[in-house]
Amino acid sequence: MTPNGGESGRATEAGAAAEMLRSRGMRELGPEEMRRFRRVERIFLEVTAERGHREIRTPTLEPLHLFTAAGTLSPQLLERVYSFLDWDGWSGERVVLRPDGTVPAARWLLEQGDLPPAGDGDPAVRLSYVEPVYRFVPGDGDREQWQAGVEIFGLGAPEGDGDLLELGAALLRALGLAPRVELAHAGILRSALRAAALDSRQQLAAYDRVLDGDGEITEELAAAHPAAATALRLLLEVTGEGTGYVANLRAALLPVLPDSEPALAELAAAAAVLDREGIPYRVLPATARNFEYYTGLTFRALAGEAECLAGGRYDGLTEALGGPAVPASGFGADLLRLADLAPAVSAAGGGSGR
Amino acid sequence: MSGAGEIRIALPRGELRAELATRLRAAGFGVPGYGEGSRSYRFEVEGRPRVRVRVFSEADIPIQVALGHYDLGITGRAHIDELLVRYPHDSAVPLKALDIGESRLVLAGAAGSSLKRLADEGVLRVATELPNLASRFLARARVPDYRLIEVWANAEAWPPEDADAAVVASERAHSEGLAELATLHRGSAWLLGNREALTGRDLAEALAPLLALPAGDGAAAGPSDPLPLALRPGLRRSPATLPERETLRVAVPDGHAQRHTVAALAAAGIAFKGYEEDRAVRYPESAMEGVSVKVMRPQDMPRAVALGLFDLALTGRDWLAVYAAMFPASPVVELCDLRRSAYRLGAVVPESLPAESIEQAIAYWRRDRPARVIRIASEYAALADQYARDRHLGRYRVIPIAGASEGFVPEDAEILLEGTETGTTLRANRLRMIDVVMESTNCAIGHRRPPPGRRGELRSELVRRLADAASGRR
Repeated sequence: MTPNGGESGRATEAGAAAEMLRSRGMRELGPEEMRRFRRVERIFLEVTAERGHREIRTPTLEPLHLFTAAGTLSPQLLERVYSFLDWDGWSGERVVLRPDGTVPAARWLLEQGDLPPAGDGDPAVRLSYVEPVYRFVPGDGDREQWQAGVEIFGLGAPEGDGDLLELGAALLRALGLAPRVELAHAGILRSALRAAALDSRQQLAAYDRVLDGDGEITEELAAAHPAAATALRLLLEVTGEGTGYVANLRAALLPVLPDSEPALAELAAAAAVLDREGIPYRVLPATARNFEYYTGLTFRALAGEAECLAGGRYDGLTEALGGPAVPASGFGADLLRLADLAPAVSAAGGGSGR
Repeated sequence: MSGAGEIRIALPRGELRAELATRLRAAGFGVPGYGEGSRSYRFEVEGRPRVRVRVFSEADIPIQVALGHYDLGITGRAHIDELLVRYPHDSAVPLKALDIGESRLVLAGAAGSSLKRLADEGVLRVATELPNLASRFLARARVPDYRLIEVWANAEAWPPEDADAAVVASERAHSEGLAELATLHRGSAWLLGNREALTGRDLAEALAPLLALPAGDGAAAGPSDPLPLALRPGLRRSPATLPERETLRVAVPDGHAQRHTVAALAAAGIAFKGYEEDRAVRYPESAMEGVSVKVMRPQDMPRAVALGLFDLALTGRDWLAVYAAMFPASPVVELCDLRRSAYRLGAVVPESLPAESIEQAIAYWRRDRPARVIRIASEYAALADQYARDRHLGRYRVIPIAGASEGFVPEDAEILLEGTETGTTLRANRLRMIDVVMESTNCAIGHRRPPPGRRGELRSELVRRLADAASGRR
């Protein structure tokens, strides 16, 4: 009870009434949250700019078909976007409140024509953005999130993956976070599911079961492909740590799943980058929900149990949008979550955040 | 609002009505008048004084139960899933499949076509009355680019020339000569309940006999999960906005407007074989060279004209207004007023409401609670929205409905935005129009830009004859 309890009571009542006037799940930032937001945003833009990323901003409204064509969102996520018919939408062409930053960034790139050279012999185009994204979540969760994202177009694996992981490490260091990383390669699991003779729908279902930690899937796959049983158990049942595990995985998988060789090499390269950065990591069979979209390495960084950034490789994206094939990778972070996780003062971020 | 201890049941009108009434009677849940197709919307149940029945369009029942306005309801499973796939709140609980209304919804297209080929070739245009089920199916099939043409009714009338596919019951697809491209949904009529009412209130007086209704065959009900299609990557080329063609395409309405339209055409000296006062085929024949005719719902005509599918359409000015409220930049214009089928569209309230104007009505509803939400139920949702803004209703909510509209006030809405020709139905339901929004008649509409060449000449000729006849100068 405060000394001016009566006034406080009135304030609470007024607050409750005002809350009823706000759309559920839409994020509002008061002065203190805004100060922390700006501080983390500044660090994000500085760190990414130092590594050649140029900031862009894309429209809030995008055509829905951009996302259905790109396959960036699973059908389940597509069912949760904010889509509607615009005032001139009589053709049935729906628009959507941007549910993700990557597809608009790829669209922007393609609209520039040929891939612009970034100079110094580096063919990559490096972009960054801080934008709100909108996805329906049930209950009181945030339906509006501020996504801080980076994209690297034109740099394949393993170089692009290495760049991305180094950038993520630098960003989290600058924010004063000491993360651990979960690492996977979509190509390895894809190779295992193909070998088990699963059709496309069965592959999708099996992938989701792996992500959901369904223990029975291992034995089902092993029964479908007995020669690979040991390798599958190592991949799906043993959570590996360090280059030793990656070497073991390679030794077990290559004889039975020879087409997983490039994926294993890329995974080993990524593990080596994290070793160099001194970041602890675990190797999992999968880290990201959207199986059809990711073509290579996927990863997520966690501070404690909270995810602070996540991303991977999606080499099919520009082609899906009608452009030429361009290697692509990137990561995104919920900026407000980063602001919550980052200590108030960090060495690289500066004191007051002003 | 429900009376204390009252049990409210939502039952469907339409195709399910007669069979359901028979089964209800056999289960000891007789609803006198319901099966006979009475124009009334409210019924009592024999020997069950606590139970009240209200009749709705099938499509409106799931939302009424989900909102808790009704404790139990019976409707087609497709309508329940149309709500739940988009708004997966758990307040509407499907309880039991019944042995009536079995239906399989399919994606239907031209004979010889396939979903994969259509989705590979271009933007897939799908006509549907169930947009949520349709978009769920298309997303799961990984169709990269599609346009939903959300129609009021008769989606089967659109393919193959005006849409690539339609979501329809399988038997309708067959009767229209369309091929099944995929199964989208299966299900019969279902009993559903409101979760809160089921968990917290004694509904046994109604629930016990309704649960005793004969059960369906136990086949899996619900939306189908299609196999993801393996399609070429890349965006599809959008359909042309104004397609080239030789013939002038004319759309004429079925249903209530048919009689008036046949008369308007006859007065202008125009007759289409197969389009008469009491019968209509899908494609009537025109004696005029270079003119082709198709019968479709008048509600859907403005969109079809905007898409360039028809050069001339005979519809109602109310439907044009609804469409213009939704899509103000749309290139559809009224070409001439046919001055038939006149009726008024306006705000309808209970006869007993102590108010003579909408302003007085608003003041009355808000006399004790200034922040009270005013609910407007209407089949013309976009016009209802416009009306609420124009009349400064403040905090309001539009309840889009599919029909049986006179039953919504006063319990489920304060205002009904509705049309009336003579006022008879309103009076029968103890309602009155307090505010006229528009006087509607039927009219000819077309694209703002006249079609080129001979098509343009034909359109001008037809419009001139219709206008002359309407003004009595011919």
